[in-house]
Amino acid sequence: MEGREVKEMNEYDDRQIREALKRSFPPINTELGRDLWPAVLRKLDTRPARVPWYDWALIALSASVLLFFPELILVFAYHL
Amino acid sequence: MDLLRRFALGEIDAFETLVRQFQGDIYAWIVRIVRDPGIAEDLTVETLWRIYRAHQQFRTDGNFGAWARRIATNLALDHLRRNRPEQSLLTEPHAATPPDHLLQQETRKKIQQAFRRLPAKLQVAATLALVEEQPYEEIADALGTSVGAVKLRVFRAVRILRKQLNHLGVRP
Repeated sequence: MEGREVKEMNEYDDRQIREALKRSFPPINTELGRDLWPAVLRKLDTRPARVPWYDWALIALSASVLLFFPELILVFAYHL
Repeated sequence: MDLLRRFALGEIDAFETLVRQFQGDIYAWIVRIVRDPGIAEDLTVETLWRIYRAHQQFRTDGNFGAWARRIATNLALDHLRRNRPEQSLLTEPHAATPPDHLLQQETRKKIQQAFRRLPAKLQVAATLALVEEQPYEEIADALGTSVGAVKLRVFRAVRILRKQLNHLGVRP
Protein backbone atom coordinates (compact mmCIF):
# COMPACT_ATOMS: atom_id res chain seq x y z
CA MET A 1 0.00 0.00 0.00
CA GLU A 2 2.75 2.42 1.05
CA GLY A 3 4.78 1.57 -2.06
CA ARG A 4 1.80 2.34 -4.27
CA GLU A 5 1.27 5.70 -2.57
CA VAL A 6 4.93 6.61 -3.05
CA LYS A 7 4.68 5.61 -6.73
CA GLU A 8 1.55 7.73 -7.21
CA MET A 9 3.22 10.63 -5.43
CA ASN A 10 6.27 10.34 -7.70
CA GLU A 11 4.08 10.19 -10.80
CA TYR A 12 2.24 13.29 -9.61
CA ASP A 13 5.57 15.09 -9.03
CA ASP A 14 6.79 14.04 -12.49
CA ARG A 15 3.67 15.49 -14.09
CA GLN A 16 4.19 18.71 -12.14
CA ILE A 17 7.80 18.90 -13.31
CA ARG A 18 6.84 18.37 -16.94
CA GLU A 19 4.34 21.21 -16.69
CA ALA A 20 6.78 23.44 -14.79
CA LEU A 21 9.38 22.88 -17.51
CA LYS A 22 7.00 24.14 -20.16
CA ARG A 23 6.29 27.23 -18.07
CA SER A 24 9.97 27.84 -17.35
CA PHE A 25 11.07 27.80 -20.99
CA PRO A 26 8.96 30.25 -22.98
CA PRO A 27 8.46 29.52 -26.70
CA ILE A 28 11.44 30.54 -28.83
CA ASN A 29 11.32 32.07 -32.31
CA THR A 30 12.52 29.39 -34.70
CA GLU A 31 12.51 31.58 -37.85
CA LEU A 32 15.95 32.12 -39.36
CA GLY A 33 16.47 35.86 -39.71
CA ARG A 34 19.06 35.90 -42.52
CA ASP A 35 20.56 33.87 -45.32
CA LEU A 36 23.53 31.89 -44.01
CA TRP A 37 24.95 30.91 -47.42
CA PRO A 38 27.54 33.78 -47.50
CA ALA A 39 28.83 32.72 -44.05
CA VAL A 40 29.00 29.06 -45.17
CA LEU A 41 30.87 30.07 -48.31
CA ARG A 42 33.38 32.13 -46.31
CA LYS A 43 33.96 29.17 -44.00
CA LEU A 44 34.45 26.85 -46.97
CA ASP A 45 36.98 29.26 -48.48
CA THR A 46 39.17 29.44 -45.38
CA ARG A 47 41.97 26.99 -45.82
CA PRO A 48 43.05 24.87 -42.86
CA ALA A 49 46.18 26.15 -41.09
CA ARG A 50 49.35 24.91 -42.79
CA VAL A 51 52.36 23.50 -40.98
CA PRO A 52 55.30 25.89 -41.67
CA TRP A 53 58.35 24.52 -43.52
CA TYR A 54 60.67 24.88 -40.49
CA ASP A 55 58.39 22.58 -38.45
CA TRP A 56 58.74 19.93 -41.18
CA ALA A 57 62.53 20.50 -41.13
CA LEU A 58 62.60 20.02 -37.34
CA ILE A 59 60.55 16.83 -37.58
CA ALA A 60 62.86 15.49 -40.32
CA LEU A 61 65.96 16.37 -38.28
CA SER A 62 64.59 14.67 -35.14
CA ALA A 63 63.63 11.57 -37.13
CA SER A 64 67.10 11.33 -38.72
CA VAL A 65 68.86 11.74 -35.35
CA LEU A 66 66.75 8.93 -33.87
CA LEU A 67 67.37 6.80 -36.96
CA PHE A 68 71.14 7.15 -36.78
CA PHE A 69 71.38 7.08 -32.98
CA PRO A 70 68.57 4.72 -31.83
CA GLU A 71 70.03 4.49 -28.31
CA LEU A 72 68.79 8.06 -27.82
CA ILE A 73 65.23 6.71 -27.72
CA LEU A 74 66.07 5.08 -24.36
CA VAL A 75 67.52 8.36 -23.08
CA PHE A 76 64.37 10.22 -24.10
CA ALA A 77 62.14 7.51 -22.61
CA TYR A 78 64.06 7.75 -19.32
CA HIS A 79 63.45 11.50 -19.13
CA LEU A 80 59.73 11.33 -20.01
CA MET B 1 21.61 14.48 -62.85
CA ASP B 2 19.56 15.03 -59.69
CA LEU B 3 20.47 17.48 -56.96
CA LEU B 4 21.57 15.00 -54.28
CA ARG B 5 23.79 13.10 -56.72
CA ARG B 6 25.44 16.35 -57.80
CA PHE B 7 25.93 17.30 -54.15
CA ALA B 8 27.51 13.91 -53.40
CA LEU B 9 29.97 14.61 -56.23
CA GLY B 10 30.91 17.89 -54.51
CA GLU B 11 29.22 20.36 -56.87
CA ILE B 12 29.05 23.68 -55.05
CA ASP B 13 25.96 24.88 -56.96
CA ALA B 14 24.02 21.83 -55.84
CA PHE B 15 25.18 22.41 -52.28
CA GLU B 16 24.06 26.06 -52.43
CA THR B 17 20.58 24.95 -53.51
CA LEU B 18 20.45 22.48 -50.62
CA VAL B 19 21.65 25.12 -48.14
CA ARG B 20 18.91 27.52 -49.21
CA GLN B 21 16.38 24.71 -48.98
CA PHE B 22 17.40 23.32 -45.57
CA GLN B 23 19.09 26.13 -43.61
CA GLY B 24 15.78 27.20 -42.03
CA ASP B 25 14.95 23.67 -40.83
CA ILE B 26 18.45 23.10 -39.46
CA TYR B 27 18.44 26.45 -37.64
CA ALA B 28 14.96 25.79 -36.18
CA TRP B 29 16.09 22.40 -34.87
CA ILE B 30 19.29 23.77 -33.31
CA VAL B 31 17.66 26.83 -31.73
CA ARG B 32 15.11 24.56 -30.05
CA ILE B 33 17.99 22.75 -28.37
CA VAL B 34 20.41 25.57 -27.50
CA ARG B 35 17.73 28.29 -27.09
CA ASP B 36 20.04 31.10 -28.21
CA PRO B 37 19.58 32.58 -31.72
CA GLY B 38 23.21 33.75 -32.07
CA ILE B 39 24.69 30.41 -31.05
CA ALA B 40 22.13 28.60 -33.19
CA GLU B 41 23.22 30.60 -36.28
CA ASP B 42 26.89 29.77 -35.65
CA LEU B 43 26.09 26.10 -35.16
CA THR B 44 23.97 26.08 -38.33
CA VAL B 45 26.91 27.45 -40.35
CA GLU B 46 29.19 24.83 -38.74
CA THR B 47 26.64 22.10 -39.54
CA LEU B 48 26.42 23.15 -43.20
CA TRP B 49 30.20 23.32 -43.46
CA ARG B 50 30.52 19.80 -42.02
CA ILE B 51 27.81 18.57 -44.38
CA TYR B 52 29.80 19.80 -47.36
CA ARG B 53 33.04 18.33 -46.03
CA ALA B 54 31.28 14.97 -45.68
CA HIS B 55 29.56 15.09 -49.09
CA GLN B 56 31.28 11.90 -50.25
CA GLN B 57 29.78 9.97 -47.32
CA PHE B 58 26.23 10.95 -48.24
CA ARG B 59 24.17 8.11 -49.70
CA THR B 60 22.17 9.55 -52.58
CA ASP B 61 19.22 7.28 -51.79
CA GLY B 62 19.17 8.63 -48.22
CA ASN B 63 17.22 11.45 -46.63
CA PHE B 64 19.28 14.67 -46.75
CA GLY B 65 17.11 16.44 -44.15
CA ALA B 66 17.44 13.63 -41.61
CA TRP B 67 21.20 13.37 -42.22
CA ALA B 68 21.61 17.13 -41.74
CA ARG B 69 19.51 17.06 -38.58
CA ARG B 70 21.68 14.32 -37.10
CA ILE B 71 24.85 16.32 -37.73
CA ALA B 72 23.16 19.40 -36.26
CA THR B 73 22.07 17.49 -33.16
CA ASN B 74 25.59 16.20 -32.54
CA LEU B 75 26.98 19.72 -32.78
CA ALA B 76 24.31 21.09 -30.44
CA LEU B 77 25.08 18.26 -28.00
CA ASP B 78 28.79 19.12 -28.08
CA HIS B 79 27.92 22.75 -27.43
CA LEU B 80 25.81 21.83 -24.38
CA ARG B 81 28.56 19.56 -23.08
CA ARG B 82 31.16 22.32 -23.38
CA ASN B 83 28.92 24.93 -21.76
CA ARG B 84 27.41 22.93 -18.95
CA PRO B 85 27.34 25.09 -15.78
CA GLU B 86 29.79 23.82 -13.19
CA GLN B 87 28.73 25.72 -10.07
CA SER B 88 26.51 23.98 -7.58
CA LEU B 89 22.99 25.15 -6.92
CA LEU B 90 22.85 26.65 -3.49
CA THR B 91 19.72 27.90 -1.81
CA GLU B 92 20.01 31.49 -0.69
CA PRO B 93 18.10 32.31 2.49
CA HIS B 94 15.60 35.15 2.22
CA ALA B 95 15.15 37.74 4.92
CA ALA B 96 11.47 38.05 4.18
CA THR B 97 9.08 36.08 2.00
CA PRO B 98 9.04 37.72 -1.46
CA PRO B 99 5.75 38.43 -3.24
CA ASP B 100 4.09 35.71 -5.31
CA HIS B 101 5.27 36.83 -8.76
CA LEU B 102 8.87 37.04 -7.53
CA LEU B 103 8.58 33.56 -6.04
CA GLN B 104 7.31 32.24 -9.36
CA GLN B 105 10.12 33.99 -11.21
CA GLU B 106 12.66 32.54 -8.81
CA THR B 107 11.17 29.07 -9.13
CA ARG B 108 11.41 29.28 -12.93
CA LYS B 109 15.01 30.44 -12.70
CA LYS B 110 15.89 27.54 -10.42
CA ILE B 111 14.16 25.06 -12.69
CA GLN B 112 16.07 26.46 -15.68
CA GLN B 113 19.37 26.26 -13.78
CA ALA B 114 18.71 22.72 -12.61
CA PHE B 115 17.72 21.75 -16.15
CA ARG B 116 20.93 23.16 -17.65
CA ARG B 117 22.95 21.06 -15.21
CA LEU B 118 21.48 17.82 -16.56
CA PRO B 119 23.79 15.64 -18.69
CA ALA B 120 23.66 16.98 -22.28
CA LYS B 121 22.03 13.85 -23.72
CA LEU B 122 19.20 13.95 -21.20
CA GLN B 123 18.81 17.70 -21.64
CA VAL B 124 18.43 17.45 -25.42
CA ALA B 125 15.88 14.64 -25.20
CA ALA B 126 13.87 16.43 -22.50
CA THR B 127 13.97 19.82 -24.27
CA LEU B 128 12.78 18.40 -27.56
CA ALA B 129 10.16 16.09 -26.04
CA LEU B 130 8.77 18.11 -23.13
CA VAL B 131 9.44 21.76 -23.91
CA GLU B 132 9.25 21.70 -27.70
CA GLU B 133 6.87 18.73 -27.89
CA GLN B 134 8.56 17.24 -30.96
CA PRO B 135 7.53 13.71 -32.03
CA TYR B 136 9.58 10.98 -30.33
CA GLU B 137 10.33 9.37 -33.69
CA GLU B 138 11.97 12.56 -34.98
CA ILE B 139 13.99 12.99 -31.79
CA ALA B 140 15.15 9.37 -31.94
CA ASP B 141 16.16 9.78 -35.58
CA ALA B 142 18.10 12.98 -34.87
CA LEU B 143 19.89 11.38 -31.91
CA GLY B 144 20.59 8.18 -33.82
CA THR B 145 18.81 6.05 -31.25
CA SER B 146 15.48 4.29 -30.63
CA VAL B 147 12.19 5.78 -29.45
CA GLY B 148 12.49 3.65 -26.30
CA ALA B 149 15.91 5.12 -25.53
CA VAL B 150 14.57 8.66 -25.95
CA LYS B 151 11.67 7.91 -23.60
CA LEU B 152 14.13 6.52 -21.08
CA ARG B 153 16.28 9.65 -21.32
CA VAL B 154 13.24 11.88 -20.78
CA PHE B 155 12.18 9.76 -17.81
CA ARG B 156 15.67 9.97 -16.30
CA ALA B 157 15.83 13.73 -16.88
CA VAL B 158 12.53 14.26 -15.04
CA ARG B 159 13.63 12.01 -12.17
CA ILE B 160 16.94 13.85 -11.75
CA LEU B 161 15.17 17.20 -11.90
CA ARG B 162 12.66 16.06 -9.30
CA LYS B 163 15.48 15.07 -6.94
CA GLN B 164 17.39 18.31 -7.51
CA LEU B 165 14.32 20.47 -7.03
CA ASN B 166 13.31 18.56 -3.88
CA HIS B 167 16.85 19.09 -2.60
CA LEU B 168 16.52 22.82 -3.25
CA GLY B 169 13.10 22.93 -1.66
CA VAL B 170 11.48 24.06 -4.90
CA ARG B 171 7.89 23.04 -5.51
CA PRO B 172 7.15 23.23 -9.24
